[in-house]
Amino acid sequence: MLSGKSIKKTRWQIGLKQWLSVLPFVAVGIVGVLVFVVYPMIQNIKLSFQEFNIMPGTKSPWIGWDNYRGVFDDPNDKFMIALKNTFLNVLVTVPVNWFLAVFFAVVINTRFVKMKVTFRTIYYLPIVSSWIVVALLFKYLFADGSGGFVNYALIHLGLLSDPIAWKSHYWSAMVMIWLFHIWKTVGWGVVIYMAALQGIPRDLYEAADIDGASPVNRFFRVTLPMLKPITLFVLINLINGAFGFFPQVYFITQGGPMNQTQVIPSLIYMEAFKHFHFGEAAAMGVMMGILVFAVTFYQMTKIGKQRLF
Amino acid sequence: MKTPWFTKLAVYAIIVAGALLFVFPFIYMILTSFFTATFSLPKPEEVLQVTPNFINYQIVWGKNHFAQYFSNSLLITSVAMVGALLISSLTAYGFARFAFPGKEGVFRLFLLTMMIPSVINIIPQFIIVKNLGLVNTYSGLWLIYIATGVVGNMFFLRGFFESIPRELEESVLIDGGGNWRIYWNIYLPLSLPAMGTLAIFVFQATWEEYFLALTIIKSEALRTLPIAILMFNDKYATNYGQIFAASLIALLPVILIYVIFQKRFVQSGFNEGAVKG
Amino acid sequence: MRKRISVLLVLALSALLAACSGGNDNASPGDGASSAAPAESSEKAKDPAKKVTIEYWHTYSDSEEKVLVEKIKPMFEEANPSIELKLTRMPYEGLKDQVIAAVAGDAAPDLMRMDIIWVPELASKGALKKLNDLPGFDDVKASVFDSPMQTNFYKGDYYGVPLNTNTKIAIYNADTLKEAGLDHAPATIDELVQAARALKGKDKQGIGISGIHAWGLLPYFWSLGGTVTNEDYTKVDGYLNSPESVKALETIVGWNKEGLVIPALLGGEPGAWDGLKSGQYMMIDDGPWFFSIMLGDAANEFDPIGKTVRALLPAGPGGSHSVVGGEDLVTFANSKHPEEAWTFMKWMLGEEPQQIMVDAGMIPTNKNAANAIDTTKNPYIGPFIEQLNTALPRTPIPEWGEMETIFNLSFEKAIRGEQTAADALNEAVKQISSLLGD
Repeated sequence: MLSGKSIKKTRWQIGLKQWLSVLPFVAVGIVGVLVFVVYPMIQNIKLSFQEFNIMPGTKSPWIGWDNYRGVFDDPNDKFMIALKNTFLNVLVTVPVNWFLAVFFAVVINTRFVKMKVTFRTIYYLPIVSSWIVVALLFKYLFADGSGGFVNYALIHLGLLSDPIAWKSHYWSAMVMIWLFHIWKTVGWGVVIYMAALQGIPRDLYEAADIDGASPVNRFFRVTLPMLKPITLFVLINLINGAFGFFPQVYFITQGGPMNQTQVIPSLIYMEAFKHFHFGEAAAMGVMMGILVFAVTFYQMTKIGKQRLF
Repeated sequence: MKTPWFTKLAVYAIIVAGALLFVFPFIYMILTSFFTATFSLPKPEEVLQVTPNFINYQIVWGKNHFAQYFSNSLLITSVAMVGALLISSLTAYGFARFAFPGKEGVFRLFLLTMMIPSVINIIPQFIIVKNLGLVNTYSGLWLIYIATGVVGNMFFLRGFFESIPRELEESVLIDGGGNWRIYWNIYLPLSLPAMGTLAIFVFQATWEEYFLALTIIKSEALRTLPIAILMFNDKYATNYGQIFAASLIALLPVILIYVIFQKRFVQSGFNEGAVKG
Repeated sequence: MRKRISVLLVLALSALLAACSGGNDNASPGDGASSAAPAESSEKAKDPAKKVTIEYWHTYSDSEEKVLVEKIKPMFEEANPSIELKLTRMPYEGLKDQVIAAVAGDAAPDLMRMDIIWVPELASKGALKKLNDLPGFDDVKASVFDSPMQTNFYKGDYYGVPLNTNTKIAIYNADTLKEAGLDHAPATIDELVQAARALKGKDKQGIGISGIHAWGLLPYFWSLGGTVTNEDYTKVDGYLNSPESVKALETIVGWNKEGLVIPALLGGEPGAWDGLKSGQYMMIDDGPWFFSIMLGDAANEFDPIGKTVRALLPAGPGGSHSVVGGEDLVTFANSKHPEEAWTFMKWMLGEEPQQIMVDAGMIPTNKNAANAIDTTKNPYIGPFIEQLNTALPRTPIPEWGEMETIFNLSFEKAIRGEQTAADALNEAVKQISSLLGD
């Protein structure tokens, strides 16, 4: 019979022993994250309650919730607009992105298709290219007037009669941002799904064939259920990616026209580094963090326990 | 069961149409890079009829320290990539294979850091690097690049590591090997597809990073390639031909890395690989 | 139980973290002080001829940088053998971010050439060094034009010196101007509008407002009689929303509705330069770099001198007012070599270096250097110097950065027809007033 005390003691001892054995592997990683990620994050939270003074060695006075109030007192509602856009971006791009990824992955993975690797490489090209370069390229393709390639092509196809000034109107700017994001990131989902498809054991399909299932039938009975765990992983990543829009907005529209296409990360950046509103920027960051955490927390716990693939 | 030709045709048509959508902007970019009339937006008709030449490529290579920055970037990115892969895989291994008190707590904390936008973290990060005396050194950059990537990379790798069956470790244990041997002989080789994928991500992210690089590196001679590309974006006018020529040169190493590592990357699902292995 | 352990662990980690960062704070500056600082002072004592290196951030373009590196640097170092000038060219994109990070991290350069509108803002943050009590400041101040000097003024002190000044003039495509029925540049706004109307059926535009921002709009707004603030830059109510201002904005809105203004105003294509070159735009306005860049570009096929007509901005009820641009030379409050930095600033504002920079397309702020320019040799600089006499500065106050955002937005809303000019300006006045704290 053990007393409560010694149970506690052994538990501590076991814990300590476990830590000692894992520490050599994780020490560098954990310290790095603490110093360069967690510490700045704590500073960020601190900053959201301060009036930040950029000069080193000077005091940044505590001002309570003023920064948070300031964010909502804005006569132009920049934060609320950015918040709305952030959700809109998730709602629009995630389903499209997900559908295209599954669709192309399944099509390329069709048994008779040759040169799978080549196609995969091509679909993946946008992913490996730099955001800045691709943003510049999109701005160039979507240039106003008939000199922009997209306008030129749409007019020649008879889909448009007059060129569109893409970046000058809210909806056309948003469409451009969405197209840019989807074009840039679909390849990731395609590659992940292709990997997953190849991981589905052949005999499952053979069994379905013996049952006389049609290809469509087979897709819904075998493929989709087998892809379920990976779909969770893909969706969470797509959602996080859509929440984290930054280059998509910053390099394409700079939030214009009239701050209408701003999203929270780009707004934070511009408030801090263009207008010296570090406190309010930090407050927005904290609120955004809590929000995203709340939205994805449910899936997070799932991911924490479930195998990713 | 033989597939009818029209199904084949339809499937190929879809794939090729998709591929065209992804690849066309790049082709248009290449065509524009042959365009030497400066500071104007090239017209589509002109772009589509341009004669290939390398004038812009030559100009660009000799301008804004381009060649030097290119090799600086190669060095920085390679070291950052190797370092990030090593540290991240070790950390992921620890989290995937060991039980220790507080593991979930640390993991949650790490995940939380991924949620809060980090765009203004740069100031505290810079101050830390400065206090370490590493301003204007590549070590300062490496520290930040590697450390800030650990969470995401570990998140990515841990799933792979956890899918490796424990039974495989037994052979090492029977030989009298310890945890390090298991990491090196079992986990790393079996997760090569994942590591390959990660290598591409890390390489690309580091290769295009400019803000930290510009902040931490103070000497012009030590700067990186994206800064050279930024320099082509003049205050008053944009020279599309030159910018795209520079961008295409900058794109080459990433594509090369991609082509090298993608063979590993998902040829077989790793579930299958592990069982076979 | 497990949960409690996790909480404890997180706490322990944070404590460790605090210890780590505390360690950083304590150890490193200490290290720095014990190793670097004494070394420096002993070096100074031992070897007075030891060179001091001062770092200078700039954003000169290729051709301008060439003059800086090949002429200015050797000349300065020859005159001041104990100082080495280290030139660092920064990308223009994201420059302010870099300055902020450097200042906050105590790693700012000694000298920087920055846009005139940044100086009051950075001065108000305490980032810049006050110059007016330095030896020789009054001489420098007396040698330069007053309006660029004023851009360095903040709360009774000066935080920089004007390095070069510029403004925009009207640049016309000679052929299109003829097509509009004129053999000379329009002298008045009425004449300009008439010419623009003559082009209406031809898919060509005649009024060259280059964009929805203060730099693009103010010349027309001012020339049409609009005002932004009172003379002390302390009040906008009754100025930005005065009947004259509303009328000025309404006129611009009307032009745009009528199709007289170049599409570049709303970010459309072609860009101002392309439009002028192709002849679609009869007029644009721009600074001297329009000419220096085109003349310096070997691949350029457009003759910027022969194919254009250059003139003062057409005068309206308010006169002919362009906007003052340019750069100031500043030193940072944390500079390790304030004396040497000031030596360079004084030297750079002298007559000879200022004249040399004319070759790079810079208009000098030094009066003697400006008067010595031979306008017959330089084919385009004359009208710029003339225009500077009536050019006005953008509101030189720290709040300008935010004020401009509000200003731009209200003008954009009016021009896009979302609000009437009066409503847009009244709303802007309300927001700017709260910003200025009255």
